[in-house]
Amino acid sequence: MVASQADPLTPAARPGARDRGFKYALVAPSIFVLLLIGIFPLVYLLVVSFQNITMTDVDTSFHGLLNYRLLFHDQRLWEALLHTVIFIVIALPVELILGLLMAQLFIDRIPGRQVFIALLVLPVVVSPIVAGATWSLMFDNRFGPINQIIGWIAGEELTLLWTINPHLVYPAILVAEIWQWTPFMFLLLLAALSAVDKSQLEAASIDGAGYWRTFFRIVLPAIWPVMAVAILIRGLDLFRLFDIVWALTKGGPGTMTETISIFTYVKGFQQFDTSYTAAVALLIIVLLSVLVFWGLKRVELAR
Amino acid sequence: MSVVNAVPRLLAIGGRALLPALAIAALAASGPVAAQSAAQRAVDAAKKICSGKTITIVWEAGLQSLDPLNFSGPKWEQLTGCKVKVVEVPVAEMFTKIMQEYRAGTGAYDALNVIPAWMPDLAQAGALEVLDPYVDKYGFRAELQKIAPTYRDNQMMVGGKIYGFPDDGDVFVFYYRKDLFARADLKSAFKAKYGYDLAPPKTWKQFDDIGSFLTEKLKGEGIYGASMFREAGYGNFMFQERFRNEGGKFFDANTMKATINTPAGVKVLTEWRNENRFMPPGVEKFGFVENLAVFLQGQSAMTISWPPYGRFAAGYLSEEKALSWVPKSQIAGKVGYALPPGGHPELAAGFALSVASTSKQKEQAYLFIQWLNSEEISNQRVQLPYALRDPFRDSHFTNPGYLKLWPDAKDYLAALKAGANTGLLDLSLIQTDKYEEALRQGISRLWAGEDPKKILDDIARQWDETTQRVGVEKQKAVYNAWAAKSGAYPK
Repeated sequence: MVASQADPLTPAARPGARDRGFKYALVAPSIFVLLLIGIFPLVYLLVVSFQNITMTDVDTSFHGLLNYRLLFHDQRLWEALLHTVIFIVIALPVELILGLLMAQLFIDRIPGRQVFIALLVLPVVVSPIVAGATWSLMFDNRFGPINQIIGWIAGEELTLLWTINPHLVYPAILVAEIWQWTPFMFLLLLAALSAVDKSQLEAASIDGAGYWRTFFRIVLPAIWPVMAVAILIRGLDLFRLFDIVWALTKGGPGTMTETISIFTYVKGFQQFDTSYTAAVALLIIVLLSVLVFWGLKRVELAR
Repeated sequence: MSVVNAVPRLLAIGGRALLPALAIAALAASGPVAAQSAAQRAVDAAKKICSGKTITIVWEAGLQSLDPLNFSGPKWEQLTGCKVKVVEVPVAEMFTKIMQEYRAGTGAYDALNVIPAWMPDLAQAGALEVLDPYVDKYGFRAELQKIAPTYRDNQMMVGGKIYGFPDDGDVFVFYYRKDLFARADLKSAFKAKYGYDLAPPKTWKQFDDIGSFLTEKLKGEGIYGASMFREAGYGNFMFQERFRNEGGKFFDANTMKATINTPAGVKVLTEWRNENRFMPPGVEKFGFVENLAVFLQGQSAMTISWPPYGRFAAGYLSEEKALSWVPKSQIAGKVGYALPPGGHPELAAGFALSVASTSKQKEQAYLFIQWLNSEEISNQRVQLPYALRDPFRDSHFTNPGYLKLWPDAKDYLAALKAGANTGLLDLSLIQTDKYEEALRQGISRLWAGEDPKKILDDIARQWDETTQRVGVEKQKAVYNAWAAKSGAYPK
């Protein structure tokens, strides 16, 4: 049957419907690919999480909620989650505040500004695992400069075991993490600050508004959308913190600095608890989805 | 049926008891074909089926892999026309890579380097090819019998089948500064203080006495009594050795309950922490390189490590470019070799050569590893200055060339042989890494200041959980098979 012979009232005969069909045909391949690479792994992950595939047994029979029961009783998992939250809660505000301070400093046209900015941004372009390995050398008690400098200041040779001493290990990781990612915050906030309407600042100044009042009433609302996205990106980055911790401590001493990413890697790729790791991965996906959704709603970007 | 074909079959039936007689009979009866070495048999066969092809072998990254890159790979290609591609993998990632490749089933790896303690896991998973048919086909059984008994009997088979050829005689050796131990002033002062002669310690109590004494006397000269592996990954081996020398057993053989938290375990961890007082500051972080640097620079009087320390300390081929990272030895000619206190050193790690079950060129891969492991070629490989393969065949310990490599090489090889005779195997179970991981984490907690008993109780709890997860009866069978081996516990 050809179109000209069809009932003029049938959908196929209507030009609008034809156009829509053509549009759907155009996007169908990309939707299919997206489903294949986005939804299929998720569904597969879900299926595997109900099986019992381990290193030595590829047991694909249905085991119900076995892995989820184990997961809720796995103290190490929840501790890893707690460690991850600790890193986020400390590192994120520090990076934000330092990044904002640096952006404030460089918002004015000071001599050598471009060079300084380029230098300050360098840590971001370093691979995190390389940054971690470098900081590991920096913190080394025999050859690292940090202990030497502290020794000079203290006036005696000190043996500070940064990656072993439980009182020093978190500061060591946080220093490395903050060193690497503060410039990221700085760059975004510098761009946001540059876009603040100068006339509003001038008006506030003429009206006699002080620095803090101007900052909280004009600058902060103006840069908030960018700042919120920066917080969201860094928050998610910190949630999957792996490289620097791996290079410095491998999650030790014991499991004191083990993050959820390290836990998942060890379970999945060193011990091959495949089904259990799938359950953990799903838990992380759910947690992150809730967080992201909440975050996006907060910055009103979800709509 | 030719003699060449008959001998392997008979050997398979008759077991080891018949081996010497049959081997002699075969050699006598068969003329030039049977007299041909296993290495030559591998070469001849590979010329027919591997020429123009490339096989891929997984090897530990770094110095270890210079063997196939610089020596054995090019030589194999020259002899057979078969190329060897080396995939270098850090040892900490080898198990993961091998398992990932197996699960993916790509056939990317043909031959493998495998730490023997992994064999039950890899064999049970199906990642390794059973080698018995190839061994028989290419007449390698007689040469396998010439591997030093510790390695041959303990690191080759799982469930009575051959999964790998022991290829690296890793064993811990006790190294000490014989020049310091011979100093008259130190000898007399030590005798006066402790009532016995200053000599390599036979017990850990003596080690403590000597270590603290030498630190007291020599710290002014920049020398500490001892330095040791303390970093958790290496400490794992040290603990396993010392725990068993102190009479510890890992599990109750009947219930499979972990018994690592018994007094023997607590004693080891408590003494470790106490001994750090006569070791260099920061010893808690010492791994292979840190400890090596301190020892070669003459800053410690005693240490325990793998065999390469002895070669590096002797300055053997120190001009070798690949060894430029090794600190120049300040103690060449001043190092003595002995068994560690307790007398039963750890056969720590080691390597075996295996064939990947997913390989599409299993026979070609097999021929390469037979050639590598053969009497003829392995004798050359263990003498490579850079490759870290340690003697593992009886003939390696008596190789006239090796004995002359440096003035004390004879003593060095004697210490290695003694260690191989009394050595202790790494714990090897299903999911070994989970047990080792708990131990590694426990050791790092020790350096963070936690109580040894609490640490060991936690390790025991984690071990029990893992055993439950694997299945008590299943794991018990594997453990008891391991515990029955000659090197599992001191006899």
